[in-house]
Amino acid sequence: MKRFKKIVAMVLFVGMMGILFAGCGDDSSKTSGSAASSGQGKEAKVLTGGGSKIIYVITPSHSNPFFKTEADAAAAKAKTLGYEVKMVSHDDDATKQAELFENAISDKAAAIICDNAGADATVAAVQKARDANIPTFLIDREINGNGIAVSQIVANNYQGAKAIAEVFVEKMGETGKYAELLGKESDTNAGVRSSAFHEVIDQYADMKMVAQQTANWEQTEAYQKAETILQSNSDIKGIICGNDTMAIGAVAAIKNAGLKDVAVIGVDGSDEAAAAIREGTMTGTALQQAALIAEMAVEQADKYLKEGKTGLEEKQLVDCIAITSKNVDKLKTFVYKE
Amino acid sequence: MSIVKTKNATFMETMIGEKQGSNSLTMMLLKGRTLIVLILLLIFFSIVTPNFLSANTFLLLAKHVALYGILAIGMTYVIITGGIDLSVGAVVGLAGMVAGGMIQNGITLQVFDVTLYFSIPLVILFTLLVGAVVGLINGITITKFGVAPFIATLGTMYIARGFAMLHSNGATYSNIIGNDALGNVGFTLLGGRVMGIPVGAIILAVIAVAAGILLKRTTFGWHIFSIGGNEKAAKLSGVKVDKVKILVYIFSGVCAAIVGIITASQLEAAHPASGETWEMNAIAAAVLGGTSMMGGIGTIGGTIIGAFVIGVISDGMVMCGVSEFWQMIIKGLVIILAVIVDQFQRNMEAKIALQARNDTKGEE
Repeated sequence: MKRFKKIVAMVLFVGMMGILFAGCGDDSSKTSGSAASSGQGKEAKVLTGGGSKIIYVITPSHSNPFFKTEADAAAAKAKTLGYEVKMVSHDDDATKQAELFENAISDKAAAIICDNAGADATVAAVQKARDANIPTFLIDREINGNGIAVSQIVANNYQGAKAIAEVFVEKMGETGKYAELLGKESDTNAGVRSSAFHEVIDQYADMKMVAQQTANWEQTEAYQKAETILQSNSDIKGIICGNDTMAIGAVAAIKNAGLKDVAVIGVDGSDEAAAAIREGTMTGTALQQAALIAEMAVEQADKYLKEGKTGLEEKQLVDCIAITSKNVDKLKTFVYKE
Repeated sequence: MSIVKTKNATFMETMIGEKQGSNSLTMMLLKGRTLIVLILLLIFFSIVTPNFLSANTFLLLAKHVALYGILAIGMTYVIITGGIDLSVGAVVGLAGMVAGGMIQNGITLQVFDVTLYFSIPLVILFTLLVGAVVGLINGITITKFGVAPFIATLGTMYIARGFAMLHSNGATYSNIIGNDALGNVGFTLLGGRVMGIPVGAIILAVIAVAAGILLKRTTFGWHIFSIGGNEKAAKLSGVKVDKVKILVYIFSGVCAAIVGIITASQLEAAHPASGETWEMNAIAAAVLGGTSMMGGIGTIGGTIIGAFVIGVISDGMVMCGVSEFWQMIIKGLVIILAVIVDQFQRNMEAKIALQARNDTKGEE
């Protein structure tokens, strides 16, 4: 009994180390193989990788299913191609992202796949990887710089938003009042999606926008904004939203207000949106093919490491798919299967 | 003199009375526990991750640790006085934006219709001043208006973050490399390396040594401890409590501004959201290093080791590919365990002191 506390102290330390072991053990079982090729690529500006067979997949937090899907897709693809994968998250913190890039460099990564934390703030990190002979392949979001990353593969937000706006107009019968919920204004995608929506909708003179508010991509905020808008305009027939998260918030507000047959569209293609479309409370969404984009990036990384080129343009746009009640059953966790 | 015996104390007493030798060994292990954990972690990650054990990784680690290490030094001062500073993360963001804005856009004086660009030392000085002002506001709100530190700094956290966002309407300053013609190049050197050592790590070392000496060897340091130990007694014995507290918050604000400058310099871009939740890392580092949230106890050396423990855990887990969710759980566990062990040590020390007093009494 008297030794109890001493023992407790020791057990605490051992326990802590044990947890670390449990966390680490299975993930790093494979030791890194030899380099893809030796580093003499500087003159030809072909990056040959840091020397190991490790691919780093750096994305925003996996608590958002979109990013989890793309990270998992990239990891699965890389593993089938014979790479070891390390998945990490930068939590949309540019400093943390820079540190993760440095960790990858110090870990002699072969390539980095990244959904970045800021178009400007990422440039230096990608450049640092390039200086360390490690090629970076950007997915989902671009950076403000050319010739630094090897590939920048993003969803065609413009095309996707236009396609789903067509569906919206049809559902509204080309006439009536509608409102818009915008994404975070500092984010380029918010602007791109909104202007694509309006390029389609503004062609119809009978469609009138009565309110336009930002809801910062967030569900709760969208819910509250939509509630306020519906309070003052109960004759609204549609709400267009910059993403699915906000669309789900708008759907809840519409339900709460006892309204029916209000057209709601979003962009992303999340499972929540798919469920709402199946239920009939949401009209449609534009699916960003996150998994496909992630797989493309890994394939290009593999090709680049082996052949010294991807054979493709740096900036690549991947079309979105308009999801409605007709084809919603083919959609699951951001993957569309014919 | 009567001695109050709690149930716990009695138990501890018997434990100590039994075997003095093994007891002092346990004490030694306890006192150096954070260092021991740090060494164990380093060994562990070196075994598990093939590329971990290299000079480069350790320099990188020092560079990463520098950011919240510097915040944690300011935080340690604040916590020792019995306070807390939640505004530091927001000040990091604000400082980066102030520096970035001054380099990219200069300061436009509308009256004269000119835009002034400042040399880098002036930019840095002005940015540090901004950090000091936030600290001053914290200090005055807390001492002169009697607002609880938690609330006062929570308020300035929002205010500073708001100003950081306002500065550019939420956008990033992407060109802070400067312009030769304007004579304001060189800011990004702070994010670089000198003789292979990251500048951030050097700054951390300098601040740590200075802050450590100030805390341990000067009257000012002694005043900080006395306020945290017993504020009323400190006041009665002539310590200018308000003045010392305000200075401590200013110091914390300046530390945060330094981190803001280093971060912006490393990223070569100033982002208004940078530094979000970093105050938590700073608090965690201080607590891991043995600083008591009740005030009156803490060392800079301990805090630095605490910061390195957090750094090794996060860098190490990244390099061995642990999922981010596990990283959170492990970080949380480590912090709680550290405090539990800390508590254990306090009890034990109290017991030893009690024992010693009993012994002298017996001799009399």
